[in-house]
Amino acid sequence: MFNTTQRFVHWLHAAAFFVLMATGLMLYIPWFGNSIALGDGGHAIRLIHRIGAIAFMLVPICYLVFNPKGLFDAMKRIFTWDKDDLGWLRAAPAYYFLGDEEAMPPQDKYNTGQKLFYLTVVICMVGFIVTGLIMWFGKGTVPAWMFRWSVILHDLCAIAYAAFFLVHFYLSVMHPLMKGAINGMLFGWMPEEYVRRHHARYYEELRSKEVLGSKS
Amino acid sequence: MAKAMLIDVSKCTGCRACQVACKAWNDLPGEVTTCLGYYDNPPDLSPNTWNRIAFYEIEREGGQVAWLFRSIRCMHCTDAPCVRVCPTGALYKDPLGFTAYDESKCNGCGYCTQFCPFHIPRLKDATVWGKGKVAKCTFCQDRVVNGLIPACAQACPTGAIEFGERDELVAEGRARVDTLKAKGYDEANLYGKNLLGGLGTMYVLTDPPDTFGLPEAPSGALAEVWQLQTLGGIGIAVGATALGLLINWLIARKQIKVEEM
Repeated sequence: MFNTTQRFVHWLHAAAFFVLMATGLMLYIPWFGNSIALGDGGHAIRLIHRIGAIAFMLVPICYLVFNPKGLFDAMKRIFTWDKDDLGWLRAAPAYYFLGDEEAMPPQDKYNTGQKLFYLTVVICMVGFIVTGLIMWFGKGTVPAWMFRWSVILHDLCAIAYAAFFLVHFYLSVMHPLMKGAINGMLFGWMPEEYVRRHHARYYEELRSKEVLGSKS
Repeated sequence: MAKAMLIDVSKCTGCRACQVACKAWNDLPGEVTTCLGYYDNPPDLSPNTWNRIAFYEIEREGGQVAWLFRSIRCMHCTDAPCVRVCPTGALYKDPLGFTAYDESKCNGCGYCTQFCPFHIPRLKDATVWGKGKVAKCTFCQDRVVNGLIPACAQACPTGAIEFGERDELVAEGRARVDTLKAKGYDEANLYGKNLLGGLGTMYVLTDPPDTFGLPEAPSGALAEVWQLQTLGGIGIAVGATALGLLINWLIARKQIKVEEM
């Protein structure tokens, strides 16, 4: 289940991501429209990147301000790892390629893959914001080595984000097993049967809290 | 083929004629400066100061004080880190060997100002909004391609700045180092012959490079890393991921029976 704030920050994040990724690629990748990134056009793209960056920075701020409980709950979940995560890693190939559910251990609200993705997002988000602010405001005031490493780390974060985003997008809308998953982020709820089969531990948690009803 | 400049600090008197000639030819306005208690003026390069004399006061062995001068300007590296990191191609290597730039292409990102191991390029009007244009010594490209020598070399009254074929200047620089050594400058050296693929601005130095604020081993390694990872890495990472997902989709849609929920 995702409440309104959680869904809002997800889609704010998504919008900022698209703007930032598109402008970032246009600036630096020749076969991605680099020719319009010259001169004043390039300056305009850099400016849009900075505006997108403000929206991006608002994501964790909004989450913390409007739904601190939800944020802490999510953080607690993604930093909690046990033997079922190892089991997920072992079972994942057969599960995602062949739909073989036998070996798949019960998963929490976020399964191991989702936790990995969420962790990557959190780490990269910190990386993006710290290095981005250095590049924005620190040019010439911070030591040159710090700026250079900021550029390199910023781009490493972008590579991780871009690659993991594809997986995220694919699994949420394209993979046959994940039918229904997208509802969680669109409307906040998912089919009960989906939660029971994909997130058994979370299902049990919800059941013990007696929050399961017609919608879950 | 490649052109270069050889600056012999032992011949430099610190007169700053080169500094003035650079401003005059390139139409760069003067700058209001403050006296900081030493001779350097202006105290730093800027978008409007592409060449300046730095003054160094050192004490040699035996208590003898020496006053040294060095004209600071773009080194025109053969393997220039600024060119590597320039995302627009505004900075480029001219066939004659110097590091030139096309201001109209520059979008003001300023990577060159931070990746240059000599801290030479500077940004014009960089603000919070990120608008700016890079500026630095052009090697008087407009003069050189028209058969003239750079304004600084033209103006130098002592012949401390020489312009010519790089190979010839390397030979001349070596000869000058030998002469200086014979005169008792034991640590005389030719700076820049092989650094960063060979510098287009080489120095005959009377003392070790760090005496003149020059790095012993300037490196463009991070510029190369950036180029590899950003221009190649993202394509490989995203491409491999996309390929993996495609394979998964092709297999999964056959193998997995979609159940209605």
